[in-house]
Amino acid sequence: MIEKLVYMNGYGFYVWTSFGVVFLSCFIFFLKTLRKLKKYESLFVKEVTELSKQEKKSALSKSETVGEIFKSSNKTI
Amino acid sequence: MQKFFSLSKIFIAITKVINLIRSIFPLLLVIALTFALALSPPDYLQGDSVRIMYVHVPSAWISLITFSTITFLSIINFIFKIKIFEIVIICAAPIGLLFTCLAIITGSLWAEPTWGTWWVWDARLTSMIVLMTFYVLIILSHKFIKPRDRSIKYSSILAIIGSINIPVIKYSVDWWNTLHQPASIKISGSSSIHSSMLMPLMLMLLILLLYSALIFLMKYKTEIIKIKKSGIKRL
Repeated sequence: MIEKLVYMNGYGFYVWTSFGVVFLSCFIFFLKTLRKLKKYESLFVKEVTELSKQEKKSALSKSETVGEIFKSSNKTI
Repeated sequence: MQKFFSLSKIFIAITKVINLIRSIFPLLLVIALTFALALSPPDYLQGDSVRIMYVHVPSAWISLITFSTITFLSIINFIFKIKIFEIVIICAAPIGLLFTCLAIITGSLWAEPTWGTWWVWDARLTSMIVLMTFYVLIILSHKFIKPRDRSIKYSSILAIIGSINIPVIKYSVDWWNTLHQPASIKISGSSSIHSSMLMPLMLMLLILLLYSALIFLMKYKTEIIKIKKSGIKRL
């Protein structure tokens, strides 16, 4: 059963390579996208944290997104 | 209406959809792979090599759908200058390029045992290379042309020119004598594919579409953060 699944009557190399290429590329692309998202989230959080108390308050009151970005990066202001 | 489409509402919705996709994805992936690699029958002519279809065909479809969407949004954006569409185009192009490359690579891996060659310069394969070139040019224009308005203008022109290639890809197997087989699945008319192969194909399509949606939303979220970051002092 496992041997049949691996060799696939001589086509195993082509089939497994195809699936391997697709899922490996997708996984690498996912990691790259996730890393970029996390990088910008933490850069944003860092910039907001460095603002003065009044600027932070104004940013939070003017834009709900600021709070949402903090929530999404598991940080609190 | 404006409240409904506000960045914060979009941001919350994106986060929710990302979490939903991430929760259902592993189970669906296991089911789809079990059908594609083990439960679906081998083809009477191509044997087990037909299983490559389950990654090759959805990849090719996604690459075409993405380019058609980019073209449509480019035309609308060209006329009405809608910022959201610009972000959608920027986020969708790399996904389209990924799946075009995957369709070409898996197609080549399927061609060797079926046609006896890794590559031929026939109409379908060549038009896919042309599609890949247009994706690369669109991404490069976003990356290297400044300011952003000009890069969007150039990428829109590229998408509109590149859209001529879409019907060429679709009908190349009918218009010319090619090694590539004609379409087995037709939206109008009866498909020549058996349901035991159609189901794993649709499952794999669903998996790759969910994956594309996940990547797209993550990229969209990144773009929203970039916009907010650039205007943080003004808030």
